[in-house]
Amino acid sequence: MSRAFEAVVTALADDELILGHRHSEWTGYAPHIEEDVAFASIAQDEIGHASSYYSLIAGAGHDVDALALGRPADAYRNAVICERPNTDWAFTLARHWLYDHADDIRSQALEQTSEPKLRQLVTKIRREERYHLLHADYWMKRVAQGPVEARSRIASAMASAFAEAGGLFEPFELEQEALEEGWLPVASPVLRTRFLEWATSALDELGLPGATGREETAPSEFVASSSGDLIAGEGSLAKEPAVVAEGGGRRGRHTDDLRELWIAMTTQYRENEGATW
Amino acid sequence: MEVFEVFRRAGHRDPFEHCGNVIAPDSDMALLLAKECFLRRQEGQHLWVVARSDIHSFSDESVLELAADKSYRFASAYRDVMHKRERAHDRVRELQVS
Amino acid sequence: MTYDERLASFTERIEAGDKVEAEDWMPDDFRKGVLKFIEMHANSEIMGALPERECLPAAPSLKRKMSLCAKIQDEVGHSQLLYRVAEDLGKSRDAMYQDLITAKSKFHNVFHYPVSHWGDVAIIGWLIDGAALVTQAALLDSSYAPYTRVLKRICSEEQLHLRHGEDITLEMSSGTEKQRAMFQEALDRWWLPIIHFFGPRTVVSKDLLLRWKVKTRTNEDLRQEFLDRYVPKITELGYTFPAPIPFEQDGHWLIKDEDIDWGPLDAIKRNEGPETARRLGARKDMYDSHRWVREALAEPSMRAA
Repeated sequence: MSRAFEAVVTALADDELILGHRHSEWTGYAPHIEEDVAFASIAQDEIGHASSYYSLIAGAGHDVDALALGRPADAYRNAVICERPNTDWAFTLARHWLYDHADDIRSQALEQTSEPKLRQLVTKIRREERYHLLHADYWMKRVAQGPVEARSRIASAMASAFAEAGGLFEPFELEQEALEEGWLPVASPVLRTRFLEWATSALDELGLPGATGREETAPSEFVASSSGDLIAGEGSLAKEPAVVAEGGGRRGRHTDDLRELWIAMTTQYRENEGATW
Repeated sequence: MEVFEVFRRAGHRDPFEHCGNVIAPDSDMALLLAKECFLRRQEGQHLWVVARSDIHSFSDESVLELAADKSYRFASAYRDVMHKRERAHDRVRELQVS
Repeated sequence: MTYDERLASFTERIEAGDKVEAEDWMPDDFRKGVLKFIEMHANSEIMGALPERECLPAAPSLKRKMSLCAKIQDEVGHSQLLYRVAEDLGKSRDAMYQDLITAKSKFHNVFHYPVSHWGDVAIIGWLIDGAALVTQAALLDSSYAPYTRVLKRICSEEQLHLRHGEDITLEMSSGTEKQRAMFQEALDRWWLPIIHFFGPRTVVSKDLLLRWKVKTRTNEDLRQEFLDRYVPKITELGYTFPAPIPFEQDGHWLIKDEDIDWGPLDAIKRNEGPETARRLGARKDMYDSHRWVREALAEPSMRAA
């Protein structure tokens, strides 16, 4: 196993773990009881995928938990969008939809890897992700084409989630080595372009303003007009495509949100070194 | 005329189970026909008919598969309880000695 | 048929062990009593998700993170099954939910208490689910048939939770002294609430649900079954009990009624438990701030569009 392999798989695992952790925070609180059950499965799926990725790089002792819970906060390589708090159901949905489609594009490319264990795992994970996509697409459609308040909330949430979605395609650490070693089939910037193309047309189809070109997040900028159409607040339109921030998560540059999550997630594990549960 | 799917239940403790279908112009007629087609030997005490057009399914049912490991959702994941009990009792004895 | 005749024939059916369906004629007292009972059960499942939910972020391994999430998911699923049964008795889910978050209805005492660490997960999974399973298994033969049908599934999932909880307990009990101390500390906090869970002795003559055979056994009978089953197991693991301390007599583990302090339960019955306001408040905030989601779900089908 090369250092580059370890670096890339760590980032994939960290994305799934941190987002799965956030998703699991809805369990018991989701805005519809049946949905609570459905979303808890999605959370478990993501944590399970993280566990499988970690097991590809775990040492001889196969200690997945040491990787998942035993590292310092700045060793995590997840994209920043994954660590953001759930905020509300609108942001959760926007992120769920963006993440699962980004993951679909990423894993479709990874399925061509020459590393057999990674390829097998990605194929398995992609089978489970189909439900995530159906689920995310349905909800987005229902909310984006729903009553005025729902549309306005999802538009704002999408603007802030979309601004950080590009961070999912920030190049991995040692990505150049991985490409040279030949097992990483597609470079992140190429995937990022695919993602942007998908997002532009998908958002357009939903009638959401996210991809029409805006620079920074300001959730209050979109307001419902009296006719019920969503209009952009004055001066919010920019010339450049909307995905801006590179994030920094792939280089271990995180926000306080990860710090807080990390304390909640790892303290019990770290304070009981060597204990089994 | 329309296809109606027929469900019957043996008793209060049981779930409704699908048992076949009938062709009928509406639900009233479907009930009348289903009773004799599917319950004439008292195979159930309760009967439902549902228009087939009101039944929905995934276009691709492979989404129903459990793709990754979900063993923790099954009791079989906790089968070695006897062994774990013994181990815990050993630990208690060990602590009592020390 | 006059009301009295209907009532007589209904009573006769119940006496004969017959089961009642939602669409059957039933006396108002029966409908109201069953609705209130199932509504409280449903409330308890969804409120019961919260203490464990509070322990979930800190799960000490990925395996436990997934299994605990799955376990809480099951509890939410139980509330879904039960609210549906209750709704068919004539009260909307929204009305039940509003009564819950405004503290007009009740939920089980044990879910009014705080949690602090993984020892709580062991106690809730093993002993509280164990206590719940004793009471719920006794309802499998209830006279209200829709309830018994969902209880069948609920009990089988509770069996799994029990194993999961015992598995966690045994890992902690085989572990470090600190882990064992965590379990003991949690047991010290939870023992009295668990005893309260069964309620005071049933006054059979006043218990309408018992007479209608919606309930089948008395509180003290269920509590005794729990004590006989779990006290030996807890003792074998080397843990000790706070008051009310169980003692062995004639092959049974007993506790004295006068050893039970009912004060904390009285406060909880008024919805004034240690965590009642905070947990209901969090639920209410979520409900109030997500009205737009319910509205979006209430829109007609998108299929035709």
